[in-house]
Amino acid sequence: MPVSLSIKSLTVEFTSGGYKIRPLNGFSCDGDDGQLMVLLGPSGCGKTTLLSCLAGLLTPTSGSIHFNDEEITGLRGRALATYRRHTVGVVFQAFNLIPSLSARSNVMVPLRLAGASRKAARERATTLLAQVGLSERANYRPGQLSGGQQQRAAIARALVHDPPLVLADEPTAHLDYVQVEGVLRLLRDLARPGRMVVVATHDERITQLADKVVELTPHLPAEQREPREVTLGEGQFVFRQGDPSDLVYVVQSGEVEILREMGDGAEEHVTVIGPGGYFGELGPMLNLPRSASARALSATVLTGCSVQEFRSQRPGHLGQAAAQS
Amino acid sequence: MFEITFADLRYRYRQFLIAVIGAGLVLAMALLLSGLAGGFTAEIDRTVGGVGAQWWVLPDNAHSSITGSEVFPQSDAAVIARSPGVTRAAPLVIVLQQVARIGSQTSNVEVFGVQIGNLGDPAVTAGRPLSGAGQVVTDTGVGAALGTTITVGAMSLRVVGEVTDRSMLGGFPVVYMSLHDAQALAFGGRPLITEVVTRGTPATLPPGLAASGNQAIEQSVLTNLSGAISSINNSKIMMWVVAAMIVAALLYVSALQRVRDFAVLKALGSSSLALFVGLALQAVIVALAAAVFAMIISNFMFGLFKQPVAIPASAFATLPAIAVVVGLIASLVALRRATGADPAAAFG
Repeated sequence: MPVSLSIKSLTVEFTSGGYKIRPLNGFSCDGDDGQLMVLLGPSGCGKTTLLSCLAGLLTPTSGSIHFNDEEITGLRGRALATYRRHTVGVVFQAFNLIPSLSARSNVMVPLRLAGASRKAARERATTLLAQVGLSERANYRPGQLSGGQQQRAAIARALVHDPPLVLADEPTAHLDYVQVEGVLRLLRDLARPGRMVVVATHDERITQLADKVVELTPHLPAEQREPREVTLGEGQFVFRQGDPSDLVYVVQSGEVEILREMGDGAEEHVTVIGPGGYFGELGPMLNLPRSASARALSATVLTGCSVQEFRSQRPGHLGQAAAQS
Repeated sequence: MFEITFADLRYRYRQFLIAVIGAGLVLAMALLLSGLAGGFTAEIDRTVGGVGAQWWVLPDNAHSSITGSEVFPQSDAAVIARSPGVTRAAPLVIVLQQVARIGSQTSNVEVFGVQIGNLGDPAVTAGRPLSGAGQVVTDTGVGAALGTTITVGAMSLRVVGEVTDRSMLGGFPVVYMSLHDAQALAFGGRPLITEVVTRGTPATLPPGLAASGNQAIEQSVLTNLSGAISSINNSKIMMWVVAAMIVAALLYVSALQRVRDFAVLKALGSSSLALFVGLALQAVIVALAAAVFAMIISNFMFGLFKQPVAIPASAFATLPAIAVVVGLIASLVALRRATGADPAAAFG
């Protein structure tokens, strides 16, 4: 049966270290049957958060995920447990095999948790380990396996229920190039009619194998843009914490307060930028979301410009990059 | 889930072994403390039972206590012997806490002055019974060899026989001598006695005397030790608490090490309850193993106490149950780690 994936306006917001974090902000994308989809982006861009939502392990703040016309974000209780067990298989970044169990027993775990008999689980695990080329190491514990072998065991574990959706988080992160090839070949082969494979990675080499690449932090256009003037009234926000970063702002008149929004709704004052000062340069430079909010304290006029334009106007300033992004 | 529980036990066997030994030693101490408290009862039971009497006649104001200093004339013993219901009667003199010198050593002993050949005259386990003045039969705890001379008070007495397990008040050994020697030691030779022991129930007693059964006599002696017994029992409970804390510490550390495993297992479909049951099972297994270890090594730890130690069978029987409770309580410390594990953390 062909599978389909549709993600619409997905936003995830949570509190970390007291601050409100929004790793996903209105994210949308679609996936088709048999695809190997690669989610590409640097650390902290929300790849793992998105995989957690797809795996049914994290409930988004808003938005929806439909897999085969079933809304995953609406599942609760037993239905959600059934989805996790039978629809989705997960390959974790650090393999996450249970260290006390052999490779075979690790593969058996999801089956046993689902109520399969020991004999049936053992047979299925043996078959899957053979498929990933690990028959001879089936009785070894993870600590006795190489990184690549552990990853293959983890893939076998993800496939025990023959899930139509396979998720892999940084599957090559802990592997050398010899092992990378074997694991990628395996993941590529898994993407076939009736199944979709979603791989989250910061390794751009993997995109060569992908049917679809989704960049979670899109690159800003490199070309220089004309500066634009922004006029704000008292209390108006220039940008909010978690927003995508685009421009560097220079204060022409008035004052702008930089503040952090806390998880409990409170605000943490950071600094006030007056005429001649600038802010918001690190976000667009590093392709990171805004780590703080900027709010006009009075009637304020700003000039918003691209990083390139800012560099040309104030050479040397970004090298000192100490202000808020 | 039980496969994971047992596999983890094997995988971390060194950790669990340390906990088993630690908790086992503590539980062994708890067993020995039970034995110490039980020993007070067992020793007085053996010593009173060794007299062979059914009834003890003492002054009214002694309140069944053979550890007091109340005395009455020896002539009353003959009156009691003639009382209807009495088939046999013998006067006794019990003198407590006498200092005995054996060679260059001294020790405290309890003196039993007995009528030779009558109730109270002990059956010896080595040597021969008392046959006259100037002789003693001693408990082996005195440490005097047969044929040697010991000094009790101002009297020099020859050891003619030995008995075993005859002591009072927490391990003080009993020295048996003739009634006349005991009267000379305690009363300057006056014909006074502290008890008359009988077989058969005396129908009448001389004025000012009262009869008590063996159980009442034993209980009166144990009353003197109630403070010590209470302290020992409290210490025993502390030992159980310490054992629980050792197992709890192990479980907590184990749970901390397994936080990622718990998250992964939850992500794979395990319930919080199943994770907790697995942890509780580990705790119970460790506690039970510690209990078995305690039962074995306690047999080699009697030498730690000079007092008599008699571990009651009930202590052995209840120890596994206590171990299960200890294990379950210990597992509660890891409850939050298991149930609170966030399956999304498996991605982290």
